[in-house]
Amino acid sequence: MKMQNVGKMMFVAVLAVALMAGCAKKPAPGDTMGTTEMGTTQESSQQDTGFQEQAIQETPSMETTTAGTQIMGLERVFFEFDQYTLTPEARTVLANNAQYMKENPMVKVVVEGHCDERGSDEYNLALGERRAAAAKNFMVSLGVPADRMTIISYGEEIPLDPRNTEDAWAKNRRVEFKAVR
Amino acid sequence: MARYGWIIVVLLFAWCLPAGAQVVISAPGKQTIPLAVTDFLPMDGTTRPEVAAEFNEVISWDLDLSGLFGLIPKESFLGDASRLTLNSAEVDFGQWRLLGAEALIKGGYSVQGDNLIIEARLFDVVSRRLLTGRRYQGKVADIRHMGHTFADQVLKALTGEEGPFNTRIAYVGNQTGHKELYLMDVDGKNIKRLTDHKSIILNPDFSPVGKEILFTSYRAGNPDLYRKEIYSGREARYSYRKGLNIAGRYRADGKEVAATLSKDGNAEIYLLGLDSAIHKKLTNSWGIDVDPSWSPRGDEIAFVSDRLGNPNIFIADVLGRDVRRLTESGKYNATPAWSPKGDRIAFARLDEGGFNIYTIRPDGTDERPLTFGAGNKEHPRWSPDGRFIVYSSDETGEKALYIMRADGSGARRISPRGGEYRHPAWSPSW
Repeated sequence: MKMQNVGKMMFVAVLAVALMAGCAKKPAPGDTMGTTEMGTTQESSQQDTGFQEQAIQETPSMETTTAGTQIMGLERVFFEFDQYTLTPEARTVLANNAQYMKENPMVKVVVEGHCDERGSDEYNLALGERRAAAAKNFMVSLGVPADRMTIISYGEEIPLDPRNTEDAWAKNRRVEFKAVR
Repeated sequence: MARYGWIIVVLLFAWCLPAGAQVVISAPGKQTIPLAVTDFLPMDGTTRPEVAAEFNEVISWDLDLSGLFGLIPKESFLGDASRLTLNSAEVDFGQWRLLGAEALIKGGYSVQGDNLIIEARLFDVVSRRLLTGRRYQGKVADIRHMGHTFADQVLKALTGEEGPFNTRIAYVGNQTGHKELYLMDVDGKNIKRLTDHKSIILNPDFSPVGKEILFTSYRAGNPDLYRKEIYSGREARYSYRKGLNIAGRYRADGKEVAATLSKDGNAEIYLLGLDSAIHKKLTNSWGIDVDPSWSPRGDEIAFVSDRLGNPNIFIADVLGRDVRRLTESGKYNATPAWSPKGDRIAFARLDEGGFNIYTIRPDGTDERPLTFGAGNKEHPRWSPDGRFIVYSSDETGEKALYIMRADGSGARRISPRGGEYRHPAWSPSW
């Protein structure tokens, strides 16, 4: 019942705001002045629930929750900082991957491009896409049908190694092959 | 829900307006006004010192951040601080002059159950006049927003331009184990989660009109752009073309969006209508083109491109007639943010030590570093009045949010401990 009254009052308040009505409010004693009224009266339940949920603390496990599962037989390839060109090592790995794809013609994969945490996030999303495309195109050139590989970039959002070291960065600049979900 | 239903009753003291403030200030750092912020006093029988303390804490934090004031220590206050004298005729200005105060904030509160009334006054001590007075009526839970709103009015009374404190900062946090979208007050309080995508959310932007937010989410298995109404919670996938749909930024009138799409295989910047229809392909180069930021007039867009080798910031004429390079120094410049007044562009530069934030004039002159030292300072975004910049920094080892003044001074952490806080965006006036 009380809630209803509150709701009603809020409705009136919202209406007043919507109409931009300069409503007279009781002035402070001894002062005469023009008055205006404004308010933020419609905060949603969405926001209220968010408030309680702030305390939840968990260690994120993005590898399983967002990205797919790695396919045995399809190896990762790694890249230099701010580069999407394939190193000789990467080409060797991709040639093996291409062979695997040809021997397993039913397999379809998602080619995921990833970056290290240095660099701008948005730029890294584009860079990760280029890495994924470079890997895919190389495998296409080796005879893997393009329609069996789709690409996606996760930028720097899913590091293999979250540490802030050269070693970790080198591991995170990669392309992975995941099963199509 | 009801606790947000507060109403501000604004008392404009007509007789003091035409005269204007005795103290005239424009920018931080030049001179500071000695200001006394008293604890507000009960206007009826109910004494709630924690209410007075919280209001004082909010306005003191805001006004200190502004850099315009020197706060006079409470311990030195004399008898007038404990008297509920709220009219300029009754205030003992002589006492405040003795302490060197030039500005004085006094006020009272009244608590009835959940209900709260606050009367707040700003006085010019030198001319013994009321500069601004406000009466706030709402719930006790609204006290912080009342404080921020009054601080906004204090800046308006003294500088002619309202403060940005009663606004919100959107950001991406991972406290649930997923990267979700959140809102906080400018001082990091009142955190509310806005999304439950259980995925990866990136890079929000507020619509300049209406309480709406644009962001990237992988919810549907691809980096797509979403629009969300903050109050209703209603949400729609806005651009979900093949490849990247990222870094959406509203034009200043809210009617067009610049975003990075890679639907044709290469990341380019496009202008989209609110219905997601492509109005224009703004860039067309072999390189990566990302991170658009509109000029406030909507006639130019700063963006990041590696078309000349390393990532650098360029400015494109929206009509597509001209693209010019903005940053000439540094090997890696990214995340441009055009100031709301149009006079400067903030960006992050990567060098040996990590990212630092710089600003530069849109004509490429007068480049200035704002941050120094260890860690990465990234994602600069301006307050709606251009006085402050919010950014992310991992200088303590945690990815946290900070606010500093537009000249780089006064930096302070706003996000609490625990988890990551990234990709801030500053709302317009709330």
